[in-house]
Amino acid sequence: MPEIKSAEQKPPYYPSYFPDLARIVRIKQEVMDAVIELEMAGGRPLGHMPGQFVQVSMFGYGEIPISVCSPPGRAERFKLCVRPVGRVSKALHEAAEGDWVGIRGPFGRGFPVEIMEGRDILLAAGGIGLAPLRSLVQYLRDHREAYGRIILVYGARNPSLILFKEDVDTWCRDPSMEMYVTVDEADESWTGRTGVLTGPIKEEIEISPVQTMAAVVGPPVMYRFVAAELLAKGMSKRKIYFSLERHFKCGIGKCGHCQLNGIYVCQDGPVFRYSDLVGLSEAVEAWAPE
Amino acid sequence: METGTKKPYQVISRKAFLDLMGRLMKEKRVMGPRGRPDQPGFHYFDWVDDPEALTMDYTTTTLPPKKAFFPPTETLLTFTLGNPPKVSESWLEDPFVLVGVHPCDLSAIEALDRAYAYPPPDRRWQHNRKRATIIGVDCLPDSYCFCESLGISQARRPCDLFLTPIRRGYFVEIYSPSGEQMLNQGECSEAGPRDFRDVLDWHQKKRGRFTTRLDANADELANILEMGDFSEIWEDIASRCYSCGSCNTTCPACFCFNMEDDFDWTLNSGVRRRTWDSCQLVDFAIVAGEHNFRGERRDRVRHRWHRKFLYLYRKFGRSYCTGCGRCSRACTADINIADETNRIISAFRKGTGNA
Repeated sequence: MPEIKSAEQKPPYYPSYFPDLARIVRIKQEVMDAVIELEMAGGRPLGHMPGQFVQVSMFGYGEIPISVCSPPGRAERFKLCVRPVGRVSKALHEAAEGDWVGIRGPFGRGFPVEIMEGRDILLAAGGIGLAPLRSLVQYLRDHREAYGRIILVYGARNPSLILFKEDVDTWCRDPSMEMYVTVDEADESWTGRTGVLTGPIKEEIEISPVQTMAAVVGPPVMYRFVAAELLAKGMSKRKIYFSLERHFKCGIGKCGHCQLNGIYVCQDGPVFRYSDLVGLSEAVEAWAPE
Repeated sequence: METGTKKPYQVISRKAFLDLMGRLMKEKRVMGPRGRPDQPGFHYFDWVDDPEALTMDYTTTTLPPKKAFFPPTETLLTFTLGNPPKVSESWLEDPFVLVGVHPCDLSAIEALDRAYAYPPPDRRWQHNRKRATIIGVDCLPDSYCFCESLGISQARRPCDLFLTPIRRGYFVEIYSPSGEQMLNQGECSEAGPRDFRDVLDWHQKKRGRFTTRLDANADELANILEMGDFSEIWEDIASRCYSCGSCNTTCPACFCFNMEDDFDWTLNSGVRRRTWDSCQLVDFAIVAGEHNFRGERRDRVRHRWHRKFLYLYRKFGRSYCTGCGRCSRACTADINIADETNRIISAFRKGTGNA
């Protein structure tokens, strides 16, 4: 069994909000998104764990939080998946290889990879939620012997919007992974599943509820429905992990933007046990505004 | 006081105090309360270079003195684009004196000391706090003040010197070696029995002046908010609230902020600033894809009350309202924090605010 360790070097906390520099080494254009590979100035490793995020600065535009979508320990580089939706992400999306950005982090609590050891892992990703989950998937694959079944359910809007197509294809061919890819709207080329991702969870996947832990990342509306299916399978709320999205400004529990009742999502999360979120008024209700 | 040449209780005449201020103003910058030229009768904290301009017997200021340590707009860094870009941190280094701070505002500074010291600490706040020497002054409440209900009317931390107006001038309590050092530059004498009596009279007068009170203490209030369901009250407050954010920007214990970049005219260099922010503004909790986690006004109103009296009370062990009444004075819709809080308390006690 390979040794699983948290980042050995404690990452800096950036208590004065001053970023370090990182250089864009490579940019790979996905359908809507750019996957940007970065290297910290001086070549130091980022020291992150799956599920953590960094604050990325485009000087002159601002700073935004982005989940790291590559696993720790593969190389001293890391990847971010950028969808151009706001001022900063648009500027970042248009950046070129060799450009510099500012990086603070990693921040937050990621997925509990140590607690997950020896268990079956059910991963559910909706849309761009695959980006933060990719870090965990690759981490689990890097330490394959330490984990039981790896089941990945991924729902995309349509076949052309499947993120990390190469990775998804690789994972589909890998007999040690159980893959369920579904799209909301199929086109002529699509021969796979259609419909939302709760479909395969409900109808196709059999799990041992005691043996399984779930990690779920997707748009806010998705969580409640996925949770309902997992609970119906007999899973405990304590074994379902959600990664929440908020607009972190500081990353260290000060600026107040991510406050969810009494907790700061940036420090106490962004990965939470479902059982810790039940009853928080702005977590569950806001996910499904009917 | 562990060591020192002076007894901890001193008296300084008003004239000697102004002389002392004049002397200090030659050494370092002094921020203190003065009349607002634009609005007679109102006061604000400002850099003062003439001791006569200091107004020590003011009721309250529009903005709290936290701005001395956490300015409404603060430059975090400057950058010049390039390969690699040049980025340098921006710090203010000069020491200064903050004079004329009321107990409620001292208590608010203590509140922010706690919040910003929570690991990882905010070095910028701590750095600016270390630059300052603070002189507090006691006050008499007006109709908006209710600090007494929160146990803050006698707050002294974290000041270096604290003044209470008495017949002979000011009764001075010394709270730190640097406060004592500062006082040593002025002419003062030891406090006598008459001065102590004057101070007690002042405290009695102060207590008698409160007209606004909360009907529960901070601990009960946290429990009430936690146990009750006050959706109707939030809805009612929200129906009057304009979400202008005035309550947050005038609050001495609010500490949320935003960070934004700005290019200068060269479009090649610029600054990153941090600015005060308000959880009452509609876009405060919005994320990419336009999901807004507190898009409803009633949720934002609820959030403010909970944060002040419950969330931060639980996290840091004290109320994040000091009873200064600034938010009530500033509210464009005349929403009074004490009145609404009392409504919540009474709804809970009557059982109508119970979940």
